[in-house]
Order: sequence, then structure tokens, then C-alpha cells
Amino acid sequence: MITAGVDVGLENIKIVILKDGKIAAKSEGPAGGAGRGRAAEKLWEETLNKAGIQAADVSKTVATGAGKYDVAFAGDRVVEVVADARAARYFYPNATSVVDAGADQVRVATLGEGDKIEEVVLNQKCSAGLGIMLKYMGRRLGMTLAEMSALAPDAAGGKTVNDGCAVFTEMDALELLNRNVHKKEVAGAVVQTVICRINAILKDKIPPAKETTVFIGGMTRNTAVVDGLKARSGIRFLIPEEAQYGCAVGAAVIASDR
Amino acid sequence: MSKQLWETRPLEIWGRAKALRARWQKSIDESAEQENLLLAHGNTGEVDWRESFKGLNIIEDNPVGAMMASVSDSFARKARLASEIRGWGREICGYVQNCWGVQFLGYQLDNSPFPLRDMCVPFSDPCDQHTKRGQQCMDFSPIPRWGGDWMMYLGERDPQREVEMIEERVYNTLKVIDDIERIFGIEFDDEKFVESIKAHRQVGEYALKVTQSMTNIPSPLGQKDLYSFYTLGGLTKVAPDELVDFWKSFSDELQWRIDNHIAAVGNERYRWMEAHPSPWHYLRYYRYMEQYGAVCVGSQYSHMMAGPIELKPDGTMDRREMIPRPAGTEIRTREDAVRAALTEARGHRFKDDEYFRLNAITDFAKGFKVNGALMPLYRGGVGCTLTRKEQGLQLSEIGVRVMHYEGSQPGDRTDLDERRFMDQLDTWMEGQGLRKFEE
Repeated sequence: MITAGVDVGLENIKIVILKDGKIAAKSEGPAGGAGRGRAAEKLWEETLNKAGIQAADVSKTVATGAGKYDVAFAGDRVVEVVADARAARYFYPNATSVVDAGADQVRVATLGEGDKIEEVVLNQKCSAGLGIMLKYMGRRLGMTLAEMSALAPDAAGGKTVNDGCAVFTEMDALELLNRNVHKKEVAGAVVQTVICRINAILKDKIPPAKETTVFIGGMTRNTAVVDGLKARSGIRFLIPEEAQYGCAVGAAVIASDR
Repeated sequence: MSKQLWETRPLEIWGRAKALRARWQKSIDESAEQENLLLAHGNTGEVDWRESFKGLNIIEDNPVGAMMASVSDSFARKARLASEIRGWGREICGYVQNCWGVQFLGYQLDNSPFPLRDMCVPFSDPCDQHTKRGQQCMDFSPIPRWGGDWMMYLGERDPQREVEMIEERVYNTLKVIDDIERIFGIEFDDEKFVESIKAHRQVGEYALKVTQSMTNIPSPLGQKDLYSFYTLGGLTKVAPDELVDFWKSFSDELQWRIDNHIAAVGNERYRWMEAHPSPWHYLRYYRYMEQYGAVCVGSQYSHMMAGPIELKPDGTMDRREMIPRPAGTEIRTREDAVRAALTEARGHRFKDDEYFRLNAITDFAKGFKVNGALMPLYRGGVGCTLTRKEQGLQLSEIGVRVMHYEGSQPGDRTDLDERRFMDQLDTWMEGQGLRKFEE
């Protein structure tokens, strides 16, 4: 059986094709802003080519993510946190919690028996601590995401910026730059604020288990954030190789049920 | 509607409710044209004495501010801006900012001049900005302002302390009435006051039955409709006898619906509660939730119309009496009426203290047999948000699924992200294994 999951995020689209429960092909591309429906179709063609199949060979396609209603070729939709939960159990059958940190959302789900979700926590509206803020601040500081990812744990050198509001984060960062603080230290402080924010969401209701919590989403590519979050939260996250495709994988698994 | 489980139909009483509401609106519109004094007030509070003054018209800033935000967002924004540039911060209640912003603008939504108030008696509340309530109009005109003293209650409840607090409030209320009589030379009608307090007590009894009816499965009434009714008699002033009769008819109709299994939502399979509504222009989320077979069965915000209620050992919600009323106590004088109203009101004030807020919300969830709770986190009117996160944790501990969402305040739609709110609702419901029926 061949199924597909399409995760249309704010920044990137991720598509996964599952064949008999195994990942047969995966692709990632920019979301394309208002044209994300077209961007998804283009990426869909690429992924089909990678898998060496036609669209008609796919039994069902489920879309998820902020742009899930823009995916015309999907037969069904699922909310992101349900896809996250299925992905966590796909990668690690004994998983008890899943954290998905991306461009505009941080989601934490506590998993119950079977497909049941016991609890969900989402970030509130402010983009503080999210991937989109990290990207924006990188641009402000003249650093790439890769450079920010490579920052050492103590890069901040004791400097701090506001972790409650992205606007205040930027103001604090600018103030540090105006005091001639090196941009790497400022970037380190920004990374720390991201870590604090995600950690607060992690601990909002039911603290995740130390050994059986899965971490997925685009933020897993940022080594500085992942290492810092591990240290601060005390959680030894399970991070699958296809972590940034997690939500799409979950959608593809759900497609095989529907 | 898919998966119909019970019959559903509109309430018969809607026509009467709309007529009462229209009369109240007319009284507001005509206030400025009359020669009477105008009183600015936040809400009724615990003792409704104002109607008993001859030659006094009341304009409450809460409902006026709420209506403004619903009718014209652009005008409400203009009003709030007028208030903000005079130094009144965004943390202040949206109702207050709307209402007094219009004062600063000088004209109302229909271009008519703002009716300047002659006095104000704001009710204070745990919301910190309510201590400043009334200051906008007091400074502007200037006019006399009295403070409705409303003490915070910290720690465990203590009956003796309750008595002392009530006596202080009795003194405070009587003094306000005396002062107004003396300063403005207008007459207070004690007989009318005693009758109105008695009527208010009767309305409370019927409102309690309405509240209790919503513990039934299926609920005969949804929260969206209750929000329309609960102001009738609380905020909306018409003849006392008419209100008593209206609430009796309302309560009777709900009992009839229970007896005949008439549901507010015909496919009810999920019950949720809330602590406050979203901004008033956006009540369509109740209809959206019906697609999941979900009905909102109550809110502390509106059920306070029923007076003090609590969860009884048998699982029912019934009258809370912090200080038992001595048998045979009759209301004859102004002081009797003030004391009786305050004694009965004491104990339902879920806003009063952190201890009671937390326990009250879990009791509420159990009594109304809810599966979930929607809890807004509002930027303005901090009393609306005080302890909401703690309440959410308490509810989670007893198995109630909680969703928080952000907004400004029910009278200010600025910070409510409608699209995001809908997405959150989908996540919340699907995360609990429920999908819309049409899917």
C-alpha cells in the first residue's frame, strides 16, 4: 500500500511517501507564501518522481500543517498534533510524548494508549522562541541559520534577551549590539531565549518523560537549540533521522488508516 | 445536522427576550434627552439600588462598551485610541476604554453628542484597573465619584470575617445612597427599593433553575443563548414584575425541554465550559463547535446570575449559603434590603480570591459534567485572566481537557486571531479523537 503525507508549514513544505509502511521518498521545499498550493503541487511531482510512481498509485494522501487546506491533491486533512503523535509512535513505538518545534508553532503532545492523545500544549500567539524568530534574528545579526546552529552552549557569555516577546527580544539584541557586544554573544543570547521558550511550553502541563520523548520539526536541525534544550530540560530526546519530516510522516501513516 | 441524537428547536421565549432588550436600549437612547441626572456605573454589582432614585438615569459602561465593539470595530478602535492618548493603558478593560474613549471624542457612534454623566459610582473589582474605574469621567467633567468597595478575600473562608466584610459593605452602600440624596437633593424610594430587591431575589431563584437545567444531558440550553438572556434582569432594567415573570417562563420552558428531550445541540456528544466568552462579535465559534457535536454548557461568568452555587455531595449544583439567613427574616427597610442582598451575593464571587477561584472551577466542571474547558488569556482587564493558567492545571488534574487562547478582552477584538482560534479549536477537538461529522 502506498500513502502520502504532505506537511505545508509556514516556511517549508515536506512530503513523504510511504510504501508498505516504509519511507519510499521524501522531499522538502519552500512554502511559497501565498502560492503554497502551487508550491505543494510542484514538490508533489518531484516526490512522485523520486519514488518512481504515478499519482494514481497512491491510495490516499493526507495533508497537514498551516496550509493543509491549500493542498488540492490531498484526499483528507488532519490537524498537526495528531500527525505528530502518529509520527512519534511510527519512529519509536514506546514514545510517551512528542515535541514538534517549527517555524511558527511549538506543539507538545502527551501520548496515551493506542492513538489516544492525553494532553496537548501549543505556544500562544507570540512568535518568541519559534523558528521564524530565529531566522529573522539571524538576518538582523548577519548570520546564517547554520552559523547560529554551530554556536557553543556558552556563546551568550552571560548576556540575555527577553524571552516573552519577539519585539522585545529584538530591542534587547539591538541594545547589546549598540553596547558593542559581539554578535556571536548576542546570537547566543537569542538561542538561549528560544530554548527557554520551548522549555516553558514543554513544562506547561504534563512534563514529558526524560527517556521517551520524541523531538521532531525543523528546529531539530539547530544543534545549538537541541543541545541547549536537552541541558535545560533534562530530557534525552529521541530524534529520528527524518525529524524535520515528522509531521508529514504522521500524516502518511494516518492516510493508511483512512 | 448529522448524527442527530435529540430533537432540537429554537426557544419559544426569544420574542419576549428581544422585546425586553429593545425597551432597555430605548431607555439608554433616551437618557440624554431627559432632564434626569445621569449616573455612570460599571455594572449592577451586588445591590441594585440605582433604579430606586427618582430622577436618575443609569448608563452602565460595561454593556455600552461591549455593544460598541460588536457594532463597529473601527469606531471602538477610535474610541480606545482617544483614551490611550490620554494615558489610559491597554491593560485596562476594553469596555471601559470604549465607553470613556467616546467621552473624549465627544460624539457617539450615531454622531449624537456624548451624554456627560453627573455622577459616577463604579463598582471596583479584583481587576486592578477597576480601582481607577470612573476616574475618566470624574476628571473630565468633573463630577463626584463614589467607590463601590469590593474587598479581595485572601486565604480560607471564615464566616466571622464574611459577616464583617458584609457589614462594611452595608455601611458603604448606605452612605453612597445618603450622599446622593443629600448632594443632589433627589429622593430615594425605599418602598420601590425593597420591592426591587425582593424581585431580584425571585429572579435569582429562577436563574438558578436555568443554570441547573444545563447540567442535564443533553443540555436544553447552550451558552451562546444564555449569554443573550443573562443580562436580562442583571444589566437590563425593566419593570421588576415583568422580569420575574420572564424568568419564570424561561425556566419553565427549559424544564419542558428537559422533559421532552429537546436539546440545544441535537448531536451533543461533547460538553465544554468556559470562564469568559471570546470578544462578543465572535460568538460563531459555538456554531462551529456544533460540527463536532459539542455544546457549551456554562460559564461562571453568566451562571453568576443564579447567585452563589456550589457542588453538593450528591453531584448537583445548588445554592451556596456562606452565611445562613436567619429564618423568618423579613425585608422591611432600606438597610434590611441592602444587608439581605449583600448576604445572598456573598460567596458566589468567583472573582474574589485565588483560593475560591480554583476550587470553584473544578466543582463547576464536575457539576456540569464537562469534557473540556476553553480558557481565554486576556491582555486587558487582568481580573479576567487572573489564575486562568492555574485553573487550567486544576482542571487537567481532574481529566478535563483545557484549551487556552489569547485575546484582548471581550470588548476589544484587537488581539483575537480568529483564524488561529479556529485552528486551535480543530487541534483541540481532533487531539481528543473527535472529527467534524461531515468529515
